[in-house]
Amino acid sequence: MPQLNTPVSPDSVQSMRSRMGNVHMAWSFVVHISRHNRTLLLASIVFATVIVLLLLTPWIALHDPSSMTLSGRFSGPSAEHWLGLDHLGRDVFSRLLYGGQFSVSITAITLVIAAVVGTLLGAISARIGGAVDEFLMRIVDLVISFPDVLVALFLVAILGPGYGTLILALTLTGWTPFARMTRGLALEINAKDYIRAAEILGCSRSYIILYHVLPNVLRPLATIAFLRFGHKLITVGSLSFLGLGVQPPDTDWAAMLAEALPYLDRAPSLVLIPGLAIFITALSVTLIGQGLEAHMDEKMKWRHDNK
Amino acid sequence: MWIFILRRLAVLALALLVVSFLVFLIPYLGDTDPVRALARARFGRLDLDAAAIETLRIELGMHRPLLVQYLDWLGNAVTGDFGNSYMSREPVMEQVWSALKVSIVLTLAALGFAFAVAVPCGSIAALRQGSAFDSIVKSLNQAFVAVPEYWLAPMSILVFALYLGWLPSAGWRGPESVILPALALSLRPMGYFTQVMRASMIDVLNSPHIVAAHSRGLSVRRTLIAHGLRNALLPVITLFSVWMAGLLGGAVVIEVIFAVPGMGRLVYSAIVNGDLPVLQAGLVAIVTFAVLINTLTDLAYTVLNPVVRIDNAAA
Repeated sequence: MPQLNTPVSPDSVQSMRSRMGNVHMAWSFVVHISRHNRTLLLASIVFATVIVLLLLTPWIALHDPSSMTLSGRFSGPSAEHWLGLDHLGRDVFSRLLYGGQFSVSITAITLVIAAVVGTLLGAISARIGGAVDEFLMRIVDLVISFPDVLVALFLVAILGPGYGTLILALTLTGWTPFARMTRGLALEINAKDYIRAAEILGCSRSYIILYHVLPNVLRPLATIAFLRFGHKLITVGSLSFLGLGVQPPDTDWAAMLAEALPYLDRAPSLVLIPGLAIFITALSVTLIGQGLEAHMDEKMKWRHDNK
Repeated sequence: MWIFILRRLAVLALALLVVSFLVFLIPYLGDTDPVRALARARFGRLDLDAAAIETLRIELGMHRPLLVQYLDWLGNAVTGDFGNSYMSREPVMEQVWSALKVSIVLTLAALGFAFAVAVPCGSIAALRQGSAFDSIVKSLNQAFVAVPEYWLAPMSILVFALYLGWLPSAGWRGPESVILPALALSLRPMGYFTQVMRASMIDVLNSPHIVAAHSRGLSVRRTLIAHGLRNALLPVITLFSVWMAGLLGGAVVIEVIFAVPGMGRLVYSAIVNGDLPVLQAGLVAIVTFAVLINTLTDLAYTVLNPVVRIDNAAA
């Protein structure tokens, strides 16, 4: 891991060299992965493709996602409409892209907030310890025992449906794995010899946190974020499916699926396509997470064996 | 250990108290005056004059301080009285009980199936690490975990109900109507169970007592059944209880798609209809069950597993 090479002295030339070292390490990490883990590489390509498509939506989606051509309802794929038209004669391909923007961005926002909140609470828990630690960890236990969807339903009952409610609900249930992980890692890292060494050498607390603790926590946290992403994407979807998430005229993948459900026997592809989009996205992100996790284990094992 | 059990029970009681207070507050947190909301649900209109609303408020006891109302509500709730549904006018508890029974059947069917597939598959994958079987099971698990149930459910309806006509597409009549919703619900837990089963079996296989049993000359099968399986099952059973608690109220989507009259759908339709007593009772029932199951699992773990027992006694 790069931080092992980071010199302890905060001398500017040294830290510049270490930063270039980090870039080099990152690149060799990418090369290593693409050689040794085909699944991870493939999953990354698929996920990157999805993200690029969603980012380029305004230029790729040639049709207004809500303009209707009633005469062409349920018509199949054509050169003009790549995935055909839905039950109201709207372009399925355009709706898929615009809907995907909502699904993926809401999931990502929730995950970032949950990660920040969870990491902070986990770090505080490990740092202060004692009764605060005990209290926070019991809260984690409690929150874990609530189903996500139910917390969201509860909040919708109070605040009404909307993006704010959606993000709040999913953050409330989503921070716990990050808090647990950060707490565990922080406790572990604080006991390490290199932290002791840095303290003896007189490095400031913020330097230690920035250069020794954070890099060690980041990769496991990124792994969890990837692993949770698929699960969150599906949960966001289930709320939209129930009509409690994305509100019309906006749409997302699950809302498209829900709208097409009454026409299941007539036009199964309208249900199949958005579901497939969620599945592929969730699967690719989960595979990235598992790849990173496996890579981490491998590295741990390698270091252990070479001690 | 008794201290540990007492502490868990105290946490349980505290959690239920907090949740019950939050649930009690639901009618007061919304935009509309709860008395008005009730009047609308009961009489079907919002334009009642202020005098009528005030009479109703006093009749319902809603003019008293919030804390008094809460204690009153809690007292009734403890005896199972959550009032009458705004919609059907029937006692809420009856609705909740029948929904709970349906949800327990559905959840047990789904998780039982997931468990029955996961345990042998996970064990065999662990025994033959790196084999073709192992990699097939692994790929399937990764896929299963990423399948949204609101996609799988319509697709299974399409195939088994509409095309093949083997099973009913919705409703809750007889055992055959349990199959499709339970299957759709079982896929994700199945993926997780198998992964955990495989990992914990590998752990157990590498542990000294298995190696010792092998070197004493026991066959692989006997070693596995006598010593391995029991230990490897513990994490899976924990996961089972977590999912049990989660699915009792969390199977909303599946229950809505298949028109299963379970807890998830009860709470969902209570929200959509603004039927607050049903919502309150449903949430309390689900949370009580979830917390109860988790506490029982922890306690069972402590009693059954000496290592955990020592850890907890020390804690």
